[in-house]
Amino acid sequence: MRITQNMSSDSSVYNLQQGRARLDRLQNLTASGQNVSTPSDDPISAHLLVDLGDKVRAINQYSSNTAKATSWMQFTSTALQGMSDIIGQAKKLAGTINSGSDDPNIRQSAHDQLVNLKKQLVDMANTQYGDQYIFGGANNSSPPFNNTDNNYAGDGTQLSVEIGQNTTQTMNITGNRLLKGGGTNPNYGSIDILKTFDDMIAAVGDSTTSSNVPAINQAASDLYDGSKQLNTAVSDVLSRMTRLDNISKFNANSKDTMLSIASNVQNVDYAKLGVELSQQKLAFEASLSATAKVSQLSLLNYM
Amino acid sequence: MGISTTLQIGANGLNIYRVASEVTSENIANVNTPGYSRQRVLFESTSISSSTGFPLVSGAQIASVDRYYDSLLQQQLVTAQTTQGYDTTKSTVLQQIEPSFNEVANDGIGAAVSNFFNAWQDMTLNPAGSTERQVVMTRAQILTDNFNFASKNLNDSVVIQNASLVPMTDSINSTLKNIAQLNGQIQTTTLLKGNANEMLDQRDQLIRDLSQKIGITTTENSDGTTDVNYADSGAALVSGSKSGAFSLDQTNPNSFVVQLTPPGGALANVTPLTGQLGATMALRDTIIPDYLNQIDTLAKSITDSVNNLHSTGFSPTGGTGQNFFTPSGAVAGSAAGFSIAAGLTVGTIAASGNALLSGDNSNALAIAKLTNANTVPSGSPSATFSSYYSSFVSKIGLDVQSSKATVTQDEAFTRQLQTLRESNSGVSLDEELTNLLKYQRSYQASAKLITTATDMMDTVLGMIR
Repeated sequence: MRITQNMSSDSSVYNLQQGRARLDRLQNLTASGQNVSTPSDDPISAHLLVDLGDKVRAINQYSSNTAKATSWMQFTSTALQGMSDIIGQAKKLAGTINSGSDDPNIRQSAHDQLVNLKKQLVDMANTQYGDQYIFGGANNSSPPFNNTDNNYAGDGTQLSVEIGQNTTQTMNITGNRLLKGGGTNPNYGSIDILKTFDDMIAAVGDSTTSSNVPAINQAASDLYDGSKQLNTAVSDVLSRMTRLDNISKFNANSKDTMLSIASNVQNVDYAKLGVELSQQKLAFEASLSATAKVSQLSLLNYM
Repeated sequence: MGISTTLQIGANGLNIYRVASEVTSENIANVNTPGYSRQRVLFESTSISSSTGFPLVSGAQIASVDRYYDSLLQQQLVTAQTTQGYDTTKSTVLQQIEPSFNEVANDGIGAAVSNFFNAWQDMTLNPAGSTERQVVMTRAQILTDNFNFASKNLNDSVVIQNASLVPMTDSINSTLKNIAQLNGQIQTTTLLKGNANEMLDQRDQLIRDLSQKIGITTTENSDGTTDVNYADSGAALVSGSKSGAFSLDQTNPNSFVVQLTPPGGALANVTPLTGQLGATMALRDTIIPDYLNQIDTLAKSITDSVNNLHSTGFSPTGGTGQNFFTPSGAVAGSAAGFSIAAGLTVGTIAASGNALLSGDNSNALAIAKLTNANTVPSGSPSATFSSYYSSFVSKIGLDVQSSKATVTQDEAFTRQLQTLRESNSGVSLDEELTNLLKYQRSYQASAKLITTATDMMDTVLGMIR
């Protein structure tokens, strides 16, 4: 084949370009540390990375949901603990006066204590988390309970949050299930705790009214059942918290796995890159030097 | 036959080697001229005479000055350049589009979609909370901006492709005119037995330039002219010294129609498929609109599915029937028209499933769960928003990658053909310098012939004295 100077210089330029492009690519990879900077670098990996990024965002959201739901449950659990203590005190009081009393002062004192305990119970049942009543169902415009009657002003809605893909968890315990013994699925018992308090207050009597011993005993037994009802609710909350805890561990694990897959695909292997870079640098230097030397050769130098 | 014959042969030699040096100097001067084919001098001996009793030629003469030219290589170069023109244009435009959808490096539509639905998740935990509602509004606005930007970007690309048809057809037309003009000059020069080598080179170079822009087929005629036909319709573009012209029907300002008037023929619509012109048309009519359609499909799907649920939900004050995004009719234009519906404010977001209960989160939960629902109609089965979008990103990546690879192959192929052409027709300085030395020596030798003959003549004259 006949070779001309122009052919040599064209192919020198072409090869220098190729070498420069390879060096540039390696330099890019080294500087960014990423295998895939644009979708066209590796469309399949790009698909995987975009998909993983999306899943990680979703898991972050589920983790945030779980954390918020957990603190809601902790609030609920604390309120339930308080209610349980109040009922415990009421039971103790009922025990001291279970056969009634002829002393108007003792009757009045027991009466006053019971009235106060009930007020505390109602206050706890009206606990707010943010601007939501935790025992009010979906009604957050007015408190679920009041001190004048025993009616439940909230509703029976159970609020759910998503804690994993297509996995939801009920967050709240409604006041009617807890204190009125109503509702189904879940149902904790059938005792209207607020009414039991009123029964007890009436049965104890006061400074002017005498005690009604059989009614005291009936109310005490109902209170005992009521405290079991509360305990059932407490264990329901605890089991939900256990589930949230498990889910949040699962989410954290999934996130770790996804991030490690992503970094396997995305992160460059610096050792391999370093070797390639030095090989390429050598090749490029050789091609520069060859170009400079060969293109100087001409018959003109000898004429 | 006498001493004067020797003198005559010497004078002839001086003449032909002067011409040969001229051809060499032309070759040297044009060593870097694109499309130049090296020329060579063909010597031949003159007629034989036997006046001395022996058959001897009476010197040398120039038979012709030829150019090294391979018509098959020219044809292959024309075809290769057409393919390269198409692929390069497509690849360049696709590489300009790719960054808008580079979800790997930047947060784009994909992140905006998942953030929007994550904001609804936050709302399930506090359906009446004003912060959560504000976040949903802000995320919706970001999503809107992303869709509008992507759509505008793609639409702008279509407009640019359309507008580029004007300078492209103008440039094709002027090349066609120049080819026809050169054909005319070549025809005249050949008729007068002149040397048209340079004009042939110029014309062939113009034909190669033209072949990048449109697909052509060429026919070389015996009178030195070359006819050019349009590969996509078969119509003539250049016939002898007459040229046709491309024009644009600009009735629809967003989508010009390419028309062709062949030499001596009537105006007709053409559908360019090859070369840069074909690539521009394909980008304008198929490739970019296809991307736009996918973005529109996603936008419409989000609009419809969110609206479906949102309009059945209730705001904290019990209002219902409110759309979240402005409803879109056809798929086309859904991304451009993607916007937050009129009347939607922080106070009218419908998170509740019950008119009387502002704390209910069932509707917010239902909307949040849309992220995992297969809602986008992408054939069967349908896809989730994010998987649809990541497939789209990957498709653009694949298109760009394969077009880059094709361009690399095209370049290598064209380079190979050009090397072959250069090997055949290119000027080699070493070779020309050698020739120059050779011709110089021959010139000196011819001059020596003349001085020798003069000496001989002097000797003869001296004898007479």
